Amino acid sequence: MEHNYQLSKERNNILRGLIGLGLLVGALGLIIDPARVWVSVLHNHFYWMSIGIGGLFFAALQWVTGAMWSTSIRRILEAFTAYLPWAIGTLVLVFFGMPDLYIWMHPEHVIGDPLLEGKSGYLSLTFFIIRNLGALVAWIFLARKMVGYSLEQDVTRDYALTLKNRFWTPVFLIVFALTFTASSFDQIMSLDPHWVSTIFGVYCFSGMMVATLAMLSCMTIFLHHTGKLRGFVNANHLHDIGKFLFGFIVFWAYIGFSQFLLIWYTNLPEETTYYIHRFHGAWFYVSLFLLIGKFILPFLYLLPRHRKRNVKSMLIISIYMLIAQWIDVLWMIQPEFYTEGPSLGWIELGITAGFFGLFFHALFSFFSKHNVVAIGDPRLEECLNHHQ
Amino acid sequence: MDKRAGCIGYYTDGDALLVAIKAIRAQGIEAFDAYSPFPIHGFEAAANIRRSWIPFVTFAGGLTGLCCGFILQYWTSAVDWPVNVAGKPFNSWPAFVPVMFECTILFAALSSVAAMFIVNRLPNHRNKAFDPALTRDAFALVIEPAIEDARAQAALATTGATGIRSVFVEGWS
Repeated sequence: MEHNYQLSKERNNILRGLIGLGLLVGALGLIIDPARVWVSVLHNHFYWMSIGIGGLFFAALQWVTGAMWSTSIRRILEAFTAYLPWAIGTLVLVFFGMPDLYIWMHPEHVIGDPLLEGKSGYLSLTFFIIRNLGALVAWIFLARKMVGYSLEQDVTRDYALTLKNRFWTPVFLIVFALTFTASSFDQIMSLDPHWVSTIFGVYCFSGMMVATLAMLSCMTIFLHHTGKLRGFVNANHLHDIGKFLFGFIVFWAYIGFSQFLLIWYTNLPEETTYYIHRFHGAWFYVSLFLLIGKFILPFLYLLPRHRKRNVKSMLIISIYMLIAQWIDVLWMIQPEFYTEGPSLGWIELGITAGFFGLFFHALFSFFSKHNVVAIGDPRLEECLNHHQ
Repeated sequence: MDKRAGCIGYYTDGDALLVAIKAIRAQGIEAFDAYSPFPIHGFEAAANIRRSWIPFVTFAGGLTGLCCGFILQYWTSAVDWPVNVAGKPFNSWPAFVPVMFECTILFAALSSVAAMFIVNRLPNHRNKAFDPALTRDAFALVIEPAIEDARAQAALATTGATGIRSVFVEGWS
């Protein structure tokens, strides 16, 4: 039996069409309103890049802990990294948009402002490019290495490759912690260079995990639906993904509230601006949505056991959480540009469609070349008999 | 002998016990319980044990804790002894959240433990164990006294039990 998955020609063409639509909308937008295009590119770049690297992070977690239950779904996580080379391309787009995005790019804002002058060594064009490009290159290098060992194991079934990944994962996890924090500081927090929050990297990480697990659940359900995972996953695997998703929804709320509580309590003018912007005008309702729609409702929805074991309810909540996380990234970025409320027009939706097409095109070209299950992993047997 | 506690059959391992449970249920006997020194995968499904209602107690306990945590802080800091802290409103809900969270966990945990004691009819210091080996290396199936002795013994004999005997409330024969 073939273990790779070939997306049908029509569906592939739809994905290509979406990429074309994104490019077209982006090009048109650059003529009409370039700033809006760059804001949307940054938004989507960060969102999809997070899912790409989130896949490697969660796969690394499975290697480093020697997890058995996840062996049959780990390849799906590894496949997310196929998007990372494309994220270099979108990062370069962000570089082009930097003058429109980052106020610290403009000397007239920096000179005479003691805070920005002090940060000018760190927040400079060259160093920004080195840091963000360096992080992505490091992730791709480590992803190639670890996913490469995993793919090699499909053929050789050699346990030594598992041990090699067990060696490389802690290296990756340390690199990831530092570079992902730096990337979130650079790409999003420096939109308002006067504002700092040391927990910001963790906040982005928690959202990344929600999106990654929701995407994992969607892809597991999809591939099971196509028949490629039949016999490899059962309700217990879905239940475990659901428990992780539930846990990280709570973790996200915990981190988000930790950030809010300290700033609210201390009430320092340089810190409160972030939330004042986000409680102003229509942004207040977006903030309210994040509290109710990204925490309380999904929490109550996923609480009963049967929802986490049911394909339909898991699919609903996963797609919903992917959208909620997209709104969360929007909420982190857009208030710095549009003070009265979110800007959601054909430019934003078109560019998002383009990124959507790009991500899934990268994902499915990975699945067309490689097995969707790590069939050579010695832990697979244990995983297939996964019980509660 | 009206102090019968049922009829016990011993098995060599967990897999044999699972097979025996299915065989006993196939004969229409549902009044039984199984004993094992460690949890056996697939036992709940084989013995048709329904989900416990403890999670609902946990949820109700957590909700109660959440409300109690809020009421406690609201009453102390906004009603009974209002103190102006950093110019914030007396009823500042964000400051209450950590304690509300802790109360949620405390109430949920304690009510779960209490419910577990009730479900398992603990503490139970009157009834002796059927056989101390059940906590060590023995696997056993006990058919409750509702099924008459002869029928229970015959049913257990068909399941490949290595030893069968009647058990009584005080010790066993």
